[in-house]
This record gives sequence, structure tokens and C-alpha cells, in this order.
Amino acid sequence: MSAMSTSRKLLAEALAVSEHDLPANPRIGTIEQWDSLAHTRILLALEERIGKPLDPEVAVAIECLEDIARVIERHA
Amino acid sequence: MMQKPQGRPITLATERFVVRSLTPADASDRWCNWSADADVMGPLNVPANRMSKDQLARYIAHHDNDRAYLVGVFTKAMNQHIGFYMIELNKTHATASFNLVIGDKHFWGKGVVNEVRAALLDEFFERRGIEKAYGTPLARNFPAVFNYKAQGWKLEGIMRGQCKSVVDGSRLDQYHFGMLRDEWRARKEAAR
Repeated sequence: MSAMSTSRKLLAEALAVSEHDLPANPRIGTIEQWDSLAHTRILLALEERIGKPLDPEVAVAIECLEDIARVIERHA
Repeated sequence: MMQKPQGRPITLATERFVVRSLTPADASDRWCNWSADADVMGPLNVPANRMSKDQLARYIAHHDNDRAYLVGVFTKAMNQHIGFYMIELNKTHATASFNLVIGDKHFWGKGVVNEVRAALLDEFFERRGIEKAYGTPLARNFPAVFNYKAQGWKLEGIMRGQCKSVVDGSRLDQYHFGMLRDEWRARKEAAR
């Protein structure tokens, strides 16, 4: 599974929506379900996926699907 | 003992909330419970210790509505106290630091923080002479970080190991977010 499709799955689960309902590149502010609690679920799921806490520089930069995919790719 | 000068209390209304300066009479069992809740206090790196109503009333009384504000958030529908902002001013530099607690967990993830903070930014920037606001959430306080970013605050720095965890003594990172008055005005103008 590519980093992008893994990221879509992770994001859909954290936002509690189906992958089909996600726009092409969802980002903060463009999808209602991406609120402060969903954001927390996204980052915690990402940490679980890569097996370690996110560096603060990385965590604060996550704003869209591509950012999530980039982190997953870097830790593949 | 000399009485500290008292400033102008804040009273604001947003779409869903009334926001007003707190007084010692606002000390409540409900609020005391928040101080004992690790879920509420943990993200602030404050130990969860139950305060008594007397302790709480004394804490509230320290805020003078001039250089230190303690502002409560109340639902319009039920006049229910759900949280508070602590705002400290540096008048020499016209800056204000923002900290907040939403104690009622039913309101987490409901957009309270930014709805109320927008009204407070308007108040401090436009009516209380403040030119820059800033906040310093713990890096692991993901909901707070989300809210700063969603509201357009600029990340100005990462303070590595800035404070010591009250839970395990480890060093904790903090972010520094800032909002200049002109940026806030431009953001509001762009949203019109």
C-alpha cells in the first residue's frame, strides 16, 4: 500500500468518514470533521503507525493529507 | 493594606457564549472539580489537585482586570460556566499572553476556543491597546495547537525542553504562537 493510500485510510478513520467522502487533498479548514479532537486522533494514529512520538517540528507542520503521507513515507 | 487598582471588567457575547470577567462569587464546586481532573489540567502541565472554593475565590481575586484578567465562558442557553481564559498584559510592550481551560469536557471539539478567543482578540486589540497576542501551548497539547493554527496564529518558534513535566519530570517542548493586531485585522477583512 502506498504512503498516500495509507494516509487516506488513516485520515478517514480519524475523521470518522468514508475514504470516498474525502476530497482529493483534504486539509485543515476544508473539511468540517477535521476539528481539534480529530486532529489529535490523526497525530496519535500517525505516531502509532511510525512507532514513535512525532518531533515537534513535524507535528506542527501537519495540515493536509500530503503532510501525513510524507511522514509515513519517511518512516517506511 | 493598599488596594490594587481595578481595571474595566470584560463583558462580551459571541454567537453561543457570554464571556465576562470572573469574580470570587464565581468560585463553584463545578470549577473545583476541574482543578482535580488530570484530563483538564494535564495539557497545561498543572498538577491535578482539588482546590477548595476559598482557594479558588482567592485565586480569582488576584486578577485585577487591568494587567491580569480571568475571563469566564458561559453558555448563553443555560448560563453554564464551561471554562475560562487567563490573559496577562505587558503594557510597556502592548502584548497579551493567552491561556485557557475548557473544563467542561462536553464542550471539547465544539469550536468554543476560537469562537471566544476571536471576541477577546477584538476586545484587546481594538479597545484595550494591545498590539500583539501570544500563546505558548505544550507541543503535546494537540487540540490547542490545532486551534492556534486554525485561527491563523503564526508559529514563531519551538522552545525545546522549555519546562519540566509535573507528572514525570521529563523536559517538555512548547510552541510559541503569535498574532499581531494588523494580522488579525487583515484576517477579519479577508473573511468579509
